[in-house]
Amino acid sequence: MSSGKTVAHSVVDPTPAGRRFAALLVVLYALIAMVPLVWILLTGFKSPPDSISYPPKVVFQPTLEGYVNLFTTRSRQTDEYIESLGPPTTWYDDLVRSRNMVITGPSRFADRYMNSIIIGFGSTFLAVLLGTLAAYGFSRFKVPLKDDLLFFILSTRMMPPIAVAIPIYLMYRTLGLSDTALGMILLYTAVNVSLAVWLLKGFIDEIPMEYEEAAVVDGYSRLQAFWKVVLPQARAGIAATAIFCLIFAWNEYAFALLLTSGEAQTAPPFIPIIIGEGGLDWPAVAAGTTLFLLPIVVFTVLLRRQLLRGITFGAVRK
Amino acid sequence: MSNQGIEKIAGESIAVAAARATPPRLAYRARGLSDRAIAWIFIAPTIVLLLAINIFPLIWTVYLSFTNFRANQPGRPVQWIGTRNYERLLGSEDIWGYLQATAHFVCWTMIIQVLLGLGLALLINKNFKGNGFWTTVILIPMMLSPAVVGVFWTYLYQPQTGIFSYIVNIFANVGPLDMIGSVDLAPWSIIIVDTWMWTPYIMLLCLAGLRSIPDYLYEAAEVDRANSWQKFWYITLPRVLPFLMLAVLFRGIENFKMFDMVVELTSGGPGSITELASINLKREAFEKWRTGYSSAFAVILFVTVFGLGNIYVKALNKVKQ
Repeated sequence: MSSGKTVAHSVVDPTPAGRRFAALLVVLYALIAMVPLVWILLTGFKSPPDSISYPPKVVFQPTLEGYVNLFTTRSRQTDEYIESLGPPTTWYDDLVRSRNMVITGPSRFADRYMNSIIIGFGSTFLAVLLGTLAAYGFSRFKVPLKDDLLFFILSTRMMPPIAVAIPIYLMYRTLGLSDTALGMILLYTAVNVSLAVWLLKGFIDEIPMEYEEAAVVDGYSRLQAFWKVVLPQARAGIAATAIFCLIFAWNEYAFALLLTSGEAQTAPPFIPIIIGEGGLDWPAVAAGTTLFLLPIVVFTVLLRRQLLRGITFGAVRK
Repeated sequence: MSNQGIEKIAGESIAVAAARATPPRLAYRARGLSDRAIAWIFIAPTIVLLLAINIFPLIWTVYLSFTNFRANQPGRPVQWIGTRNYERLLGSEDIWGYLQATAHFVCWTMIIQVLLGLGLALLINKNFKGNGFWTTVILIPMMLSPAVVGVFWTYLYQPQTGIFSYIVNIFANVGPLDMIGSVDLAPWSIIIVDTWMWTPYIMLLCLAGLRSIPDYLYEAAEVDRANSWQKFWYITLPRVLPFLMLAVLFRGIENFKMFDMVVELTSGGPGSITELASINLKREAFEKWRTGYSSAFAVILFVTVFGLGNIYVKALNKVKQ
């Protein structure tokens, strides 16, 4: 998505007025598209009554109540009981007590978030590792049935997750992998490895073979040439691939919903449960949503030049 | 791609020039493992993993689809019942209802997103100042978690207090809009959210198509005194079409499988008006525990997706050329 240097040519260039008009419409679309996200960001800092006021409040007294509620469990207590506890020791104690509540402990959100991080990074590491090896194999060697194998690898990505979820559920139950981080890491690795192979094959294809050949002539073995010549040059491609795998694992919901419950549950199936825990606690939901989506927004901005490649399995590269 | 790295390596290796002078066959004879062995060692782990976690379960699904197995009663003897699950499926009117809901969702999301996405791409291609920044902003929704998007849109869609209903009422005084709860509006509530999320995808591919059109075609058209409509119809559209079709095919497949966003937004309701195929499949398999029956449904869905996927890969290869 480079801001495109046009080859200036009077016939092809749009008129200044046309350009301004285009800019106006695109900016308008972008602003409208951002309204839901900005609204969620704001809601995270509202008090529960402000979050359900009508008309919707754009100007409000910001509070961290949503974030406090997200990370804690609370119970309602009588005034006498709260007074008997003595003065609040922290600002969040104070905040919760102003609602006649007492913090009873941490909520499970931090655990779920941590699970998302562990499973996301674990599966990304494995998928990129396997994907790099396989992509190099497909890119540089004569492999029998190469096109069929590559198609097979891609086709596994086409499966509806729910269609394979039934036997995976049964298989994991038998192997004792259900509701474990390891089981989820293996599963996400299997889903991501197809993307990793296709993307990385594209990146490795672009590295001229001459460098490896030169290294081999210098006395390197194939593996040394792979390690010392190809990998360093594929670094940028590997990084982009890793981010795509990470985003997929981070966002995945269907398998997480069906195969995890207590131990290994990730954040996406947990965020909707927050609604139930404290009545309609929208600020807490919004706070959880904000914390969950923020890393992805950052990654999207970092990846913007590679996005096209990532979403087409490396087919379109401009 | 870091050019510096490439130059550094090129500089380090004196043999680059030598390699160019050497016939390729000679340069290939490396020490250590044979190329064939390396290729297999490198590729095998991926294939094994996919066989274990994708193909084996798939075969198991096919097997289960011919049985009356119920996953919540593992002790019960499993009976081979032939094609009875498939007969019951194809004979059931409900299934056609779910497939119809899915088709409605897929068709409308594709039509709206193609129009919006192509339009946006044409505008962005005018290369105004700052279009890189605004393009990135527009791309953000498609990278987000569909399930979490579904969750927060239930908040935006609140009929009394939600901002969606409020904004619509600024322009048209229609009163509180119950997007999720109303039978008429619920199918559109999921179409709107999907459009919000995925129009950028279509736009991005169209943009790639537009940028692949060489300027001289327009210059030639100008010489021939073509008007701008003719230029669009005879130059722009044919060149963008392969990219657009690729985008539609990919998004079509994804929306045919749609599960997470809609489960969180409407969970198939009201009634079963937005119960898409995957949502019904989950209900049959993990709520009613009719494992055999739902496996048959899964097989039918998979065959459909696989057929579409085949076309997709062919289209991919065409665009690549």
